[in-house]
Amino acid sequence: MQPDDLEDETSASPGGMTPLHPDQLQVMRIRAAIATLVLAAAAAVAGWTLLGDGLAAAAPVAVLLLGAFAAIVLAPRRYRAWGYAEGEDELAISRGLWVRRRTVVPFGRVQHIDVAQGPIERRFGLATLILHTAGTRGAAVPLPGLKQDRAEKMRDRIRAKIRQDLV
Amino acid sequence: MTDSLSERRRLHPATLIVRWLRIVPQLLAGGIAIAVSGRGGDGLAGFLWIAGAALAIGAGFVLLAWWRFSYRIGANEIIIEQGIVQRQRRIIPFDRIQDIAIEQPLLARLFGTARVKIETGAAARDEGRLDMIALSDAHALRDHVRRGPSGAAATASAGEPLLFAMGVPRLLLSGLFGFSLIFLAAIAGAAQQLDQFGLIEWDVWFTEERAEAAAGLATAQAALAAAALVVLLGLVAGVARTVARDFGFRLTRAEGGLRRKRGLFTLSEVVIPLRRTQVAVIDSGPLARLFGWCRLSFQTLGADQKEGGVQVAAPFARIDEILPILAEAGFPPPPPRAAFRGIPRRALLRQAAPFLLLAALATIAALLVDGRAGLGAAVMLAGALYAALRWRKHGHALDGRALFVSGGLLKRRLWILPFEKAQTIIVSRSPLQRRLRLASLLVDTAGAPALRAPEMADLDGGEAEAMAARLLALFYAARARVRLVPKPS
Repeated sequence: MQPDDLEDETSASPGGMTPLHPDQLQVMRIRAAIATLVLAAAAAVAGWTLLGDGLAAAAPVAVLLLGAFAAIVLAPRRYRAWGYAEGEDELAISRGLWVRRRTVVPFGRVQHIDVAQGPIERRFGLATLILHTAGTRGAAVPLPGLKQDRAEKMRDRIRAKIRQDLV
Repeated sequence: MTDSLSERRRLHPATLIVRWLRIVPQLLAGGIAIAVSGRGGDGLAGFLWIAGAALAIGAGFVLLAWWRFSYRIGANEIIIEQGIVQRQRRIIPFDRIQDIAIEQPLLARLFGTARVKIETGAAARDEGRLDMIALSDAHALRDHVRRGPSGAAATASAGEPLLFAMGVPRLLLSGLFGFSLIFLAAIAGAAQQLDQFGLIEWDVWFTEERAEAAAGLATAQAALAAAALVVLLGLVAGVARTVARDFGFRLTRAEGGLRRKRGLFTLSEVVIPLRRTQVAVIDSGPLARLFGWCRLSFQTLGADQKEGGVQVAAPFARIDEILPILAEAGFPPPPPRAAFRGIPRRALLRQAAPFLLLAALATIAALLVDGRAGLGAAVMLAGALYAALRWRKHGHALDGRALFVSGGLLKRRLWILPFEKAQTIIVSRSPLQRRLRLASLLVDTAGAPALRAPEMADLDGGEAEAMAARLLALFYAARARVRLVPKPS
């Protein structure tokens, strides 16, 4: 391979970026847990019908182990991969554990803004800010893990900067 | 003109005939199915009865739909009301209209009518569709929307400066480069359909004796002749398709855009609005490039979704012919080849590594399991070679106004992206890219196709970050410049 196996420093952690609210980690863990339970139930049914009695437990146990790995090991890493930096005229958002992606959205390009809140997020008083642009791959840029009043404040600030000209 | 436009109107009466002609075969097919199943009486009398019923039902349905469809041009919007039972009233404000396309299918041309498609850039296709109105009304409507009710004059495109046109020799030549086997596949498919309906009986044509006789003739010469025939048919199909699409191609400078007229059977007329043009693309296939031909298209916001938001402005032209069109559209000309920066040598690894890995695996499989896996290894090695060759073609350049991105090995593309058209800037790194300290940079634009976006793959990581920051600064500077120029209203 390459002589220096160092990973690219600028991508290792979103340096200089604001991390998400710590409660977002709990939200991500709960989501992983719920997904795991649903999948484990499905695996149990499948194991019961497809495999013999002796092996029936293997499928749901495997799913539970994978789910535990996702919730305990992967979730904190995914949480740390997120980050944002609010500039004067743009918002930069980093995300992704596997493919790391940093998206810069100039406020002048925002068509409309959503503040969304799922049931789990509501419990923690968190919200997701979604910036919609006219682009294709950057058409909807989400930023989860903001305290609700913080998300609304950001929305109002960005809305004040949005210009109506489309092109 | 304006007065007659502003009242509530129905579609052109010829619509009745055209739609009726379109709907009757379907009804007849259904009727015949019923007749075959033996419910409509016997023989000719039953068939005539069903045919008559189909024609009458079709006529009634078409008449009803026509009666219940109306449109009105208001001061600032078009109002379309339609629906036989469930009524729908759609209001399209003029300032939301991105494009009005006028099409004339063959039948419409007989009656001097046209189909008008109004596009607003929303998700649905053809948000407003007037199928069909008189051609003069279509032109008046478009001019009315473009210029407001005051300037309904100067609708003729005859006086507009010509930017590009294709004569018949050029058209035929471009057809030769448009070699197409798709039509052959379509013909084969149609033949199979006919066979299914029992209209062609392959079994009678291809008996066993004949097959054996044919096998005796199947020498290398026959195979060569067959291959030549396929190539010939492909050429003919390419020419036919190109002639049908691009016959009489004319690109003129219209007010606010470039007017494109083309088509042999279906005449289409589109104005590519310059204010909504995002990116210019110059591309060429391997053969055409060899002879110095290329194609210019513009990616626009809210253009016909069928074409992926990309409108062809010159389908087959020399670069010297394309440069004036670019200038007219406000795009800078591409810089010389030497101005383009390539991507680092280690990006070769990232582009070819997946193929090499698969080739290694296939080689192992060939040695241990089955020798036939060697073929897979060879294919993967060819893939690695392709990736390595493609690596050389990646490049990008900046000038004072735009970002230029080039890519593609066989079909080479060059994107011209003015800074002020950027939407978002995305830097991404896959695990392998992180290992190699590489990053991909994408400048997203409005109406960009999901595939074939001008992504700068595998830049040096630090360079990608610096480039992203620089593009952002250039974007703000360009936007400030654009704002100083008063908008044409």
